[in-house]
Amino acid sequence: MQIVVNGEAQEDLSECTVFQLLESLAVTPKTAVVELNGKILTQEHWQDTLLRADDRLEILVFIGGG
Amino acid sequence: MNDIIQSINSSNDSLLIGGVNLRSRLFVGTGKFSSHEIVPQVLKASGSQVVTMALRRVNWKSPQENILNYMPPNTILLPNTSGARTAEEAVRIARLAQAAGCGNWVKIEVVQDQRYLLPDNWETLKATEQLVNEGFVVLPYMSPDLGTARRLQDAGAAAIMPLGAPIGSNRGLQTKELIRILIEEISLPIIVDAGLGRPSEAAEAMEMGAAAVLVNTAIATAADPVFMAQAFRLAVVAGRLGYLAGPGERRLEAEASSPLTGFLQEG
Repeated sequence: MQIVVNGEAQEDLSECTVFQLLESLAVTPKTAVVELNGKILTQEHWQDTLLRADDRLEILVFIGGG
Repeated sequence: MNDIIQSINSSNDSLLIGGVNLRSRLFVGTGKFSSHEIVPQVLKASGSQVVTMALRRVNWKSPQENILNYMPPNTILLPNTSGARTAEEAVRIARLAQAAGCGNWVKIEVVQDQRYLLPDNWETLKATEQLVNEGFVVLPYMSPDLGTARRLQDAGAAAIMPLGAPIGSNRGLQTKELIRILIEEISLPIIVDAGLGRPSEAAEAMEMGAAAVLVNTAIATAADPVFMAQAFRLAVVAGRLGYLAGPGERRLEAEASSPLTGFLQEG
């Protein structure tokens, strides 16, 4: 299946949870913020949320800023 | 030097924002530093209790460690909504920051103009109204304009953050007269944000009665950011003391400091 992560299409993904996807992208989970299809997905739901075809996922982190 | 800072810290001259009594009137931004490692040293040297950061899409091709890992404990996190072009986008970023465990303070920053990065006061007001209703402590970055400042105050902003000069320009208090009017007319704390490039400019803002200043680029792009953080800390304290002391009036003509009587050549 294909999903869109941070605006970029990710092809040929096999079924996985949000948590598994974060791990595969080497995102340190405890510091990321996730939005799934425009809605905030809090950390306690990452393990039990399965990604579906055409989902849009945003993965954000804090960086330096003024 | 430490005596002076300690005496002002232990005095009752604290700044109340969002129910918190702040001892330090210097807010510090964390952008543009050459490395994350220097950030804790800069924050320590600045004495700052309120620190800003931004939220961005993660880049897994060149992973960067989360800036929050470099914040000293008990720092009040002030995430900004940079990148937002509309009130809706600012609200979305604020909610994401809160969901990430950043607390409920937010610096609204809505910018459409890409050359001068001047804030859009209208969108900023809309975002402020919405986020205050959601329980955020809202600090809007704005172009110094009295009408907008009044509306932000009515909307429940916790402080008003007018720019001194365009972000990152290091050009100082270009908007001085407009900020002076805000200080005079608005009862909320006025925090000069953006543009301050030298410690003397921070002192000048504080002498005018600004409640605090927010400094990022001036510290981050200094040859020695830790020294510069210390310099801004002292300048903010000096300016605040100068304000509290009540400067004497300015005159066009001289008024002798030494008595004009009893001269040797008299009589």
